[in-house]
Amino acid sequence: MSKGFAKRIGLLTGLIGLTIFAVGGAGALSAQELKIGYMKHDIHAANVVIMEKWAKAKGVKLTKIPMAYSVFQEKVTATLTSGGDQFDVIWHNDDWGQLWKKWVEPTNDITGMDKVARKPLEAFINDDGKISAVPMVHTVGVFFYRTDLVSENEVPKTLDELVTVSKKLQSEGKVKWGYVGGMKMNHTWFSQWWSMWSNNCDIFYPIYSRDNKELEANGWKPALADPCHQEIIEFWWDAMNTHKISPRAMTAYGRDEANAIFMAGDAAFTLVDSTHFGSFNDPKKSKIAGKVGMARFPMGPRRTTPVAWNEVWGWAIPKGVPDDRKKLAKEMLGAMLTDIEGQIKQWEDTGGPPPNREAWDKIAAMDPVFGQLKHAVFDVEPPMHAAYYFPNWPAVHKAYSDATIGALSGKREDIAAALAKGVPIVHAAAVQ
Amino acid sequence: MLLLVGPAAAVLVLFQIVPILIGMNASFRSWALYDPTKTWVGLKHYIYVLSDPVFMTVVLPNTFLLMFLSVAISLVFGLALAHLLNRDFLGQRIVQTIVLLPLMVAPVIVSTMIRWMFNDQFGIVAVVWEGLGFEPMAWLAERWPSFSIILFTDVWIWTPWFTIILLAGLKSLPREPYEAAAIDAAGRWRVFTHITLPMLRPVMLVCIVIRSIDAFRTFDQVWVISAGGPARGTEVFSVYAYIEAFQNLNFGRGSAAAVVGGVIIMVVGLLMYRVLNRLMEVSR
Repeated sequence: MSKGFAKRIGLLTGLIGLTIFAVGGAGALSAQELKIGYMKHDIHAANVVIMEKWAKAKGVKLTKIPMAYSVFQEKVTATLTSGGDQFDVIWHNDDWGQLWKKWVEPTNDITGMDKVARKPLEAFINDDGKISAVPMVHTVGVFFYRTDLVSENEVPKTLDELVTVSKKLQSEGKVKWGYVGGMKMNHTWFSQWWSMWSNNCDIFYPIYSRDNKELEANGWKPALADPCHQEIIEFWWDAMNTHKISPRAMTAYGRDEANAIFMAGDAAFTLVDSTHFGSFNDPKKSKIAGKVGMARFPMGPRRTTPVAWNEVWGWAIPKGVPDDRKKLAKEMLGAMLTDIEGQIKQWEDTGGPPPNREAWDKIAAMDPVFGQLKHAVFDVEPPMHAAYYFPNWPAVHKAYSDATIGALSGKREDIAAALAKGVPIVHAAAVQ
Repeated sequence: MLLLVGPAAAVLVLFQIVPILIGMNASFRSWALYDPTKTWVGLKHYIYVLSDPVFMTVVLPNTFLLMFLSVAISLVFGLALAHLLNRDFLGQRIVQTIVLLPLMVAPVIVSTMIRWMFNDQFGIVAVVWEGLGFEPMAWLAERWPSFSIILFTDVWIWTPWFTIILLAGLKSLPREPYEAAAIDAAGRWRVFTHITLPMLRPVMLVCIVIRSIDAFRTFDQVWVISAGGPARGTEVFSVYAYIEAFQNLNFGRGSAAAVVGGVIIMVVGLLMYRVLNRLMEVSR
């Protein structure tokens, strides 16, 4: 072996040794560090602030890793299934509750879990009957209206009234659009779905069922071709093309575009998660700050009582995280759940209803807006679930979106045929 | 010598070859991203992809159309810009740098910017369009306007690449044929078509092949601008594979789609290479 070759081998060995030492050292240090992966959103940021309070008091380093919503689910799914510990805590959503149940820790033992509402947590129940998320905020759909344009009595209570009130406001030159809402893939709740549920309609038969056994016994039969569905799609087609109370480009809008139009003062009504109320009322971002009210969903012709959905955004702990960091993460989430003052501040800063019900009474006593939200959502019985909770749900959502956007993008007389064409595609997505 | 090449080879194997092999393995298995059972299913995913009417009648035609139009238009504009830059003038280097700027911005950022420019309510394009007296246009809500925006974005990003390579090619051309043409009083258009283009052909053809292979797998612009919509109308091969693997969470099927696309571009690339060789021989 030549001297030069031996020297190179020695250098390589040294480098490898240094690397192992550095990684090992990092592993030891990481016991006092927690990494949080979440969506870049005011509510998440506000909730992380509560956790930062705890982290500072405990001398724990909190590394924040915000990610875009459009890639969050797929990125985190890949991370979870690899068994890695890239994140110690991740944002979790009811949509993904059944998707990730095998890969995240049960959370029943976390302090404060007895103080939160149970129904929204149904999405996160794993195969052992344990809950696998910790709520950070209630995410509820709210029908927002401009208080400077309509009084509380004038707020539309039906889809027909939504059209007449919108057209009246437009003809008086008070507003450019009546209703604006997200419609494209991943934003389907904010036009098609809220109106679908408000019309005694749903994606699968039986309508409103979320019992997977019942849905499976019915063969995952889509209700897309049902007259109740045709009515809704025709309503939106007319809204954009006949009555022109909504922009024709709304089929391409996400909630960002819709919120931008609403906050610019160009629309009278929108429907979006209550978590955006803070932005609507922020004078730095919104031209309509202080002029936004909350109401119940307008109803379709097939309903006489309103519907509302009440879900939660939460946090989960990946199973791949080492035990010592899992314990630390659980302690942190328990501290967040029991920090009533922190949760009240989260409401004040963002309009996001906190998870601990002990905070609700305090907030309702000091903020009339919470009272509005309570009436619009929390008092509507029974609350419904705004998604289906089984692993093929993301594929079903995509198939549904393609079918309805296709129907809305074509001719009115072709809507029934387009929806019928979507039935086998949605079914195939459910049973793949 | 081996030690010099070793690290690069190791990186190539670890980050290129191994993932490709894992993907190919996944394409023959039932591999849901949330629950990878990895049961062998043979050619089931390939049969699904190749018999999917959307893949055959929408996705592949969109992909080839985008590839062809993007390369053709970028080539024409790139050549024109290269020709304009192939002379000495005050500020030539600054102009050259500015022309290269689109290539320096990440495609995701460019696409996000373009998406908002074409927003029907706030976009600058809508303001100008309606200011010129046209009816308001729902650019991103219709298939061909959306496709045109994606194409425009791709051309905007890649024209500078053609420009800089063709400019280098122009600068390396021999002067003698031009001097002879000047003596014969040949016009500028004749010089361009009978001298410049034939001599530049080998460079152009290499650019076309490389860029075509890259254009076939365009993802960022399509995903950010339209996500393949409306209703899959602008879906291309890379988006199809992505949706199957990461939105529908069917990693096996997405991998099969990726392999099918890889085979297609390999065949197309080989055919183009043969044409390139033939044309280069003819030009000699």
